[in-house]
Amino acid sequence: MSTNTIDSVDVFLQGEKEPSGSWVFIVLGLVLSLSFLVLYSILYPGQDLPVISDLMPVFKGVFDSGIWFFILGTMIGIFAILGRLLLEATSE
Amino acid sequence: MSEGIIMDTILSTMFYFWITLFVAYFLMQRGLWIFSDVAKGTVSFMLEKALGPGADLVEGRPGAGARSWIMQGSLWMIFASMFTFTSMWLTHDPDALHSLASWGYTANAEELASAGVYATLYGTVSMFIIGCSFHIIPKLAGTELASETNANLVSFVWTISVLVLVIGSQNNSILGIDIIPLGVALNNIVLLAVIMNQLLTVANKTRNIATPGWLILIALLSSPILAIVSIVSGAANDNVGQWLTYHIFGGTFFFAGVAGIALYASSIASGNPLWSKTLVGVTLIGSIFTINPFGDVDGQMVMDAFGPLADNNVMSFTNQDMLSASFLMALVSIPVLAFSSNMLVTMRGSDMFVDDPDASGNAELNLGSWLIIPIVIGSLFVQTDAVSGTNELLGISNSLSVMAGWLVLVPLSLGAALSLYPELVGRHLFSQNRARWGFWMMTGGAIFGLSITMIADFMDIALAELLVEDSSNLSEELRKVGSVMFYGVVIGSILHTLNMVTGMFRGELISKKSVRTSSISVESYSLVSPTTIRRILSSGADLDTEVIPTGENDEKGSATKL
Repeated sequence: MSTNTIDSVDVFLQGEKEPSGSWVFIVLGLVLSLSFLVLYSILYPGQDLPVISDLMPVFKGVFDSGIWFFILGTMIGIFAILGRLLLEATSE
Repeated sequence: MSEGIIMDTILSTMFYFWITLFVAYFLMQRGLWIFSDVAKGTVSFMLEKALGPGADLVEGRPGAGARSWIMQGSLWMIFASMFTFTSMWLTHDPDALHSLASWGYTANAEELASAGVYATLYGTVSMFIIGCSFHIIPKLAGTELASETNANLVSFVWTISVLVLVIGSQNNSILGIDIIPLGVALNNIVLLAVIMNQLLTVANKTRNIATPGWLILIALLSSPILAIVSIVSGAANDNVGQWLTYHIFGGTFFFAGVAGIALYASSIASGNPLWSKTLVGVTLIGSIFTINPFGDVDGQMVMDAFGPLADNNVMSFTNQDMLSASFLMALVSIPVLAFSSNMLVTMRGSDMFVDDPDASGNAELNLGSWLIIPIVIGSLFVQTDAVSGTNELLGISNSLSVMAGWLVLVPLSLGAALSLYPELVGRHLFSQNRARWGFWMMTGGAIFGLSITMIADFMDIALAELLVEDSSNLSEELRKVGSVMFYGVVIGSILHTLNMVTGMFRGELISKKSVRTSSISVESYSLVSPTTIRRILSSGADLDTEVIPTGENDEKGSATKL
């Protein structure tokens, strides 16, 4: 008996639709984030949330504010768009 | 001349503006007599041949111009939201970006807010208006755009002009040259090319243009006309005239432009006929004859834009000015209500059934149509307060102005762009799910972020009235929460742009069945294949429309004799 295994592993299909229950994970993510904030305020009362330079001392004096998390997030988004443009333009 | 017959700044400037706009409209309708053909030839030459090798830089396929403007507008949306978010953050944490000083850049909340305004209004909203207009006007005129190449090429020059304006907002004088007037001049040159392109398209029309098209044309024409009127009448020289110029520009270019593309898109997105032609007319007339209260309480942007052509005379509003400004601002509720009701009823449709409720852009158009009413009422209070010199609500003017941008102008123009996207690109958006997330992130971020910031503004106003010297800690905390929530707008912008960019390459190809047409009333409907009565009605046909079956013949074709 022969089994054609090539067809079954070579093709990857990216689904675009969401199962109706996937919102549970988003809610779970929100609950976890809030739990983290509560836990942090209990463990380190009165202290601000850590910023990048607290986590990576090499960036001390540079990324000293929480705004850098947001700016880096935006930069990732912009590079994702540029990357998509470059990849699609050169893919054929 | 006796003082009695001298009109105040407000009425005299508006009078000149109305007359000039009427003359422009008259010339568009009647043409330039024996000079029409010469003008057509000259403009056609300037749009295509005069570009020389520049025309070879871009493609001139149908829809290329509109596509280019809309894609660049969506990219500007990310920067616009980012600048606004950063300025909100720096309001409560002024030293957050101190490390950039080592590169010679000192970030400042006010300057970044100004950059955000330029990027939002000129980068995002204007590019969406002009981009959509390149699709809508030829469709309504029943012809092709006069020059796709020119439309495509000038979009990049417009982007450069916005970049110059953003740089100017950070440092207005580089090597002794005023940067903002330079950006505005570049901007107006591009706008002239856009206007010429559209007028030439209108000159080749094969049918009468529906009223939403006139809203767009008047919006485009109003900008250069207003600039000339403002300088010639002297309105640009004092703060009252500058305030007026700023608000007429907001009412004609932005409100009329956004209303034109949104009304067209509302029928495209829902598949329903436009509810009322009369209400579109009321919106058009109202946008010209009233003063739109959206935006700043001063005309600083106009003074910056005109540069050396404007003086800095400080004048207080005379009683006559106050009365006419307040009256004309109150009248704005008529076109706004007309526009909003027309949009909402068109989108709902007469059969309580939307053709494609999940269509991208529907949600944005709905949001803008709902929120324009409370925001215009709020702006009316703030502007009346400023005009009368009371200045009690000055503290919330900035938040309200940003709200008008991100909850009315951006959603309406983005919604229109998303609705037209499939026809322009030939593909659907990459993911409806991502579009939905983009909408919720942008809407949630803007509503909660700006409302919380406004609450902080009210707290500061109350504390200032009580002469409390120390600023409230709670107000600062609220500003922090507000700015973090506004970051949702940045994420939403990125999601929308990524979705549009990816959709260009991987979006599902549109089938003939899914192509939606304008629902603006049609007199005859060509039936080429079996279809449902609902689809015929949704294309704009009514009970009096003649349905003409169109057959195909199998005769062999031959070359056309010229």
